[in-house]
Amino acid sequence: MAGTDVAVTGLGLVTPGGIGVGPSWAAVRSGRATAAVDPVLEHHPVRISCRVPGFDPDALIGARRAVRLDRFSQFALVAAHEALADAGLDPRTWDGARVGVVLGCGGGGPTTVEAQHEVLLTRGPGRVSPLLLPMQLPNMLAGQVAIEFGATGPNLVVSTACASATTAIGMARDLLALDRCDVVLTGGSEAMITPLVMAGFAQMGALSRRNDDPASASRPFDVDRDGFVAGEGAGILVLERAADARSRGARVRARVLGYGASADAHHMTSPHPDGTGLEAAVRAALADAGAAPGDVRHVNAHGTSTPLNDAIEAAVVKRTLPGDPLVTSTKGVTGHLLGAAGAVEAAFTVLTVEQSLVPPTANLTTRDPVADIKVAEEATSMPVDLALSQSCGFGGQNAVLAIASA
Amino acid sequence: MFEQFKSLLVDKLKVSPELITPEATREDIELDSLAVVELSLMIESEFQASVSDDELLETQTVGEMVALMESRGAKI
Repeated sequence: MAGTDVAVTGLGLVTPGGIGVGPSWAAVRSGRATAAVDPVLEHHPVRISCRVPGFDPDALIGARRAVRLDRFSQFALVAAHEALADAGLDPRTWDGARVGVVLGCGGGGPTTVEAQHEVLLTRGPGRVSPLLLPMQLPNMLAGQVAIEFGATGPNLVVSTACASATTAIGMARDLLALDRCDVVLTGGSEAMITPLVMAGFAQMGALSRRNDDPASASRPFDVDRDGFVAGEGAGILVLERAADARSRGARVRARVLGYGASADAHHMTSPHPDGTGLEAAVRAALADAGAAPGDVRHVNAHGTSTPLNDAIEAAVVKRTLPGDPLVTSTKGVTGHLLGAAGAVEAAFTVLTVEQSLVPPTANLTTRDPVADIKVAEEATSMPVDLALSQSCGFGGQNAVLAIASA
Repeated sequence: MFEQFKSLLVDKLKVSPELITPEATREDIELDSLAVVELSLMIESEFQASVSDDELLETQTVGEMVALMESRGAKI
């Protein structure tokens, strides 16, 4: 399995930077923070989030389809259409049985759950929508993508909290390496900015409280960081074995060379103070890629802007990757897309190696001295042959992708 | 009553208006069993008439659905 050469041939994004790869990458490249006051969170202790701007599901996927989909599935369909078009794949002509869908999602559809819970409390059980479960179940994400495109191969949703989409891409790589599929649509989607979920995150103390200055709230690796800003959106990557991609004349945008995963086995929410789990995942990804730690030129960090994550992650990068890679966290721009974060960050890493351009870490005013690593303060042109995209989830789950230039 | 019923199908279930005629079948207007349950709930809340999803499934056309609602005292 090690050394299986897997190509990324298509990308699709729906992010707080915009709808589509173009606007999303432009926002990240320019370091434009997207956090803003969110009307849904009025009267909450944390009133800021990173929303997808101008998302009109009726216009994007049709009203009849959209009305029966939770927001997290709507995001995924839009991103998947873009990714397939980018890959030059036509679902009308492919062998659907050889097309898999592996997506990550942390929380399913709380928008639908909370709305229907209100119906239950105010109007009684007999008024609850029959679509409650089919709309909110997390696995519906992959099921709906299969329905949309006739992808009848292996189909699943994985959940490792904020590492979900990275885990999904790793599983997708395994399916290709095992020859279970020829094409896999992978990535993740999340739409959890709801009153109940955000109250829960706030009670944990996980969120930034910069309500009065949202644009500066998500500040990974900065000494004044005080928590993450919740984001929403989806990222879809089309993966194929590189040899297959080249033989059909597809453009190989980058390659997923390796994947590593681990568990901290330490605490429900706190990362292991020594970062041993993350380090194990990094080393496993590099071993899978057949690469040496010193070969890594760039890291798209998990970099949540929480005090603990960024300090521990920086220490792991410092001691594990001797090549002094240029680190960035695109969460300064997008906020934290939770279960979708790994997908949009893998897509940004693909763009980084493809375009030899490391995007900046927004709001990095004064790097925290405990983060003794090289963090990109501005967009930096440099060749990136090998990069890592790192994710860590509540529950102690770590997942790391090694992404190489085509 | 047909026009009001049509509006319900269009506004709430997002059925394409051009598909909805008195002769149209449930398949013609693309209502699956889940949508029929939704429709039953909406008929009760919008028209104050009690028509179960099973009864709706037994009708052949939109026109028969409207007649069934009227027989249960549906009000506009």
